[in-house]
Amino acid sequence: MAVEIGGMGHSVKRKEDPRFIRGKGNYVDDLKLPGMLYMDIVRSPYAHAKILNIDASKALAIPGVAAVITGKDLDAYKLAWMPTLMSDTQMVLPIDRVVYQAQEVAVVIATERYIAADGVAAVEVEYEPLPPVVDPFKALEPGSPLVRPDHADRPTNHIWHWESGDKARTDQLFAEADVVVKEHIYLPRIHVSSIETCGCVASFDKVSGKLTVWMTTQAPHAIRTVFSLVTAASAVGQIPEHKIRIISPDIGGGFGGKVPVYPGYVCATAASVLTGLPVKWIEDRSENLQADSFARDYHMDVELAAKKDGRFTAMRVKTLADHGCADAAANPSKFPAGLFNVCTGSYVMEAAHVEVDGVYTNKPPGGVAYRCSFRVTEAVHAIERIVDSMAQKLQVDPADLRMKNFIPPDKFPYKSPTGWEYDSGNYPAALKKAMDKVGYAQLRREQARKRAKGELMGIGISTFTEIVGAGPSHTFDILGIKMFDSAEIRVHPTGSAIVRIGVQSQGQGHETTFGQIVAEELGLPVENITVEHGDTDTAPYGLGTYASRSTPTAGAATAMAARKIRDKAKLLAAHLLEASPDDLEWVDYKFQVKGTPSKSKTMAELAFAAYTNHPQGMEAGLEAVSYYDPPNLTFPFGAYICVVDIDRGTGEVKIRRFVAVDDCGNIINPMIVEGQIHGGLTMGMAPALLEAITYDENGNIQQGTMMDYLLPTSMETPAWETDKTTTPSPHHPLGAKGVGESATVGAPPAIANAVVDALSHLGVTHIDIPVTPWKVYEILKAHGLTEE
Amino acid sequence: MRFEGHETINAPIEAVWAFFMDPHRVAECAPGYQSMEVLSPTRFKPKVGVGIGVVKATFTLDVELDELREPEHVLVKAHGVAAGSAVDIHGGADMKPSSPTITEMDWTATVNVSGTLASVGARLMESTARKLTARFFECVREKVETPK
Repeated sequence: MAVEIGGMGHSVKRKEDPRFIRGKGNYVDDLKLPGMLYMDIVRSPYAHAKILNIDASKALAIPGVAAVITGKDLDAYKLAWMPTLMSDTQMVLPIDRVVYQAQEVAVVIATERYIAADGVAAVEVEYEPLPPVVDPFKALEPGSPLVRPDHADRPTNHIWHWESGDKARTDQLFAEADVVVKEHIYLPRIHVSSIETCGCVASFDKVSGKLTVWMTTQAPHAIRTVFSLVTAASAVGQIPEHKIRIISPDIGGGFGGKVPVYPGYVCATAASVLTGLPVKWIEDRSENLQADSFARDYHMDVELAAKKDGRFTAMRVKTLADHGCADAAANPSKFPAGLFNVCTGSYVMEAAHVEVDGVYTNKPPGGVAYRCSFRVTEAVHAIERIVDSMAQKLQVDPADLRMKNFIPPDKFPYKSPTGWEYDSGNYPAALKKAMDKVGYAQLRREQARKRAKGELMGIGISTFTEIVGAGPSHTFDILGIKMFDSAEIRVHPTGSAIVRIGVQSQGQGHETTFGQIVAEELGLPVENITVEHGDTDTAPYGLGTYASRSTPTAGAATAMAARKIRDKAKLLAAHLLEASPDDLEWVDYKFQVKGTPSKSKTMAELAFAAYTNHPQGMEAGLEAVSYYDPPNLTFPFGAYICVVDIDRGTGEVKIRRFVAVDDCGNIINPMIVEGQIHGGLTMGMAPALLEAITYDENGNIQQGTMMDYLLPTSMETPAWETDKTTTPSPHHPLGAKGVGESATVGAPPAIANAVVDALSHLGVTHIDIPVTPWKVYEILKAHGLTEE
Repeated sequence: MRFEGHETINAPIEAVWAFFMDPHRVAECAPGYQSMEVLSPTRFKPKVGVGIGVVKATFTLDVELDELREPEHVLVKAHGVAAGSAVDIHGGADMKPSSPTITEMDWTATVNVSGTLASVGARLMESTARKLTARFFECVREKVETPK
């Protein structure tokens, strides 16, 4: 029975895939509207310069070029600046100054995409180069070039200081500690590089006054509200929210990179409002890589204090956060450094103190939560690396040290020293499972044998805790909009249903998994359930999909809405079975008279009755809405073990094995979860070994194409070995937690720890990621260990 | 990027000087030269196409000669923009005769490239610049060493 329904725990094949594998997806760039114009963008060659003049005359002379829009044009409508998600401001188009290389300078609107590109080449911009500041440490020095002179009240590149935890107690514990370790850990700037770049089609109907924007966004409702508020403050005049429709159709990967509003969206929308014609803007690959918001870029000084016996007592972290030219981080309002203070991880310690300073530099905005819940990747890297440093200093096995310091399973809910309440966890079980699966003891013996022969092999562990599913509305909001989420379910008379959710999918498989939740709760077969999302005219209000929040929030809302429907269905069943509702029970996806399976009604039968035979006094129909405000976040966790071999000739790190034991509570669709973990592990391996965005001293990005920005392919990807433990969330209606980001967060330190472990006998205690062959080779060379 | 070099040109220093003071003759040797506007004897605006790897850009340069000490010393400042890219060059050349028919020339150039060309072509920039420089001087020698 359960198998036919396809409810919780079934590997139902993804409903989305038939259209994707046939090339029938519906992405923004697939949309073609009559009379549609195309937009392309003039971008700055300089990281910092004054704009002396923009001469568009040659571009406008090209047949087919309809308009060239500059910052001065937008300024006339008070649209040259826009708010960021962190209540900073960011230029849409500059009026007289550019602050990063590849910044948007002007846009060209034309009848064809290629004519728009020709127009871009013909726009002549006269610049006066200014000295840029690229290094966040130098940005804080006196006399540094000022990135944001528009903040007249703040003549500094320092954006904010934020701290968390008990400083006095932490300092005291450090002073009393038997052992202290410290590392400077840098998590470099990286880019999400989704397969689909960003873009939109904006279409303003001058007759009805309705603006429809098909947009590559992870949060369509929030965009609608922001658009309405921004137009209200502009000279265009407010477009009321009911006249704005944001549609996020099929999206080719988001990973946090499609949460921010980019200038291109605003320019295309402004162009459509001005012309009354649809305007399409689609970035090319290099624009996406060079100008869209970036992730990480955290310079962390991490310290851990312990007793002689290895018990942790305190952690201290000081961080410089390079935000580029704007604080455009996609964080909840109250968290300038995201959830970074969850950095005490899976371990008991009495106190912690975490400080972060945000800094402006002449680079594109940073702060994208790249496949992680608001700086959790940074936090996990800090704690998982420093725990290994402690093991090294104490000369104990890193697995033993973790086992000794884990929050015990019977101590949940656990209040962390920085104030988070972990809902549930069983860390020793996950690590034990991973160790058994990988054959940890044998591997350590093999390592000792190999080391004696001069061969380099390392074993790295990461036992991370995530914090996902923002969030309780008392703490979490974005620009004031509370971070609840929603679902609306309508059951049709013949027993099929439509579900509309406030979150949105960028490949997560929501059309399948949210159908499974309804199937489980209502006993309707999953193939009879349609899931819609991403259209603000039809979906209930929601905050969107990122930070592994869909299942914790909208998944819960879907279950709650389904339960409302089931409650009503119970009354219908009582009516049809001529029984008291109290005498009915829900068994095998049916209501039956207690202990009498022959007297039962299926949901399909009850749905039919809801429209054809409902009792007097009851409203017809069978539908429900739920806005779910979670009582807490969920805390998925995992234990990862990575085994690497290092080539002494080239310095190349080869991942021989990678065992990932994840615990995301109750699972809706095991196949999708496994897919999420495989993808996440690959996206975690990428920054550990390959990816980093750097700039030269003039602020030129050095990885402007895929030739230099090394995304992993199947060639670099090892065979992942996955497994699970199940510790349900005690507060989530389904006992589920988010899983989309666990692997991205947990994998990098496992790999970094494995490499350091391979080289630890040489005195190496830390290597910054990406651990490139060159970095390893330099270490080997310094120790005379390279071989031809 | 900083480049420097030494060239031996088999021609009298006066001929070499005259060559470098004639923007049209120099332009003939400039790789990717398309056209030029001469504003004064020491200021001109050539248009040159540059390709680094797959990236091609047409620069309109603003070139100015300075500190001229005939026939032995000249400084060159050039600033150019192309779609998405910009270049700033500070260069200089010192010449002296090692015989009445041979000129020794020491030159330096500091080149700052910004934008697409710098970010997309970074790995190829130095080798491309060296190749173009070599081609330029080969052309110069050919033109100066063969009297018209």
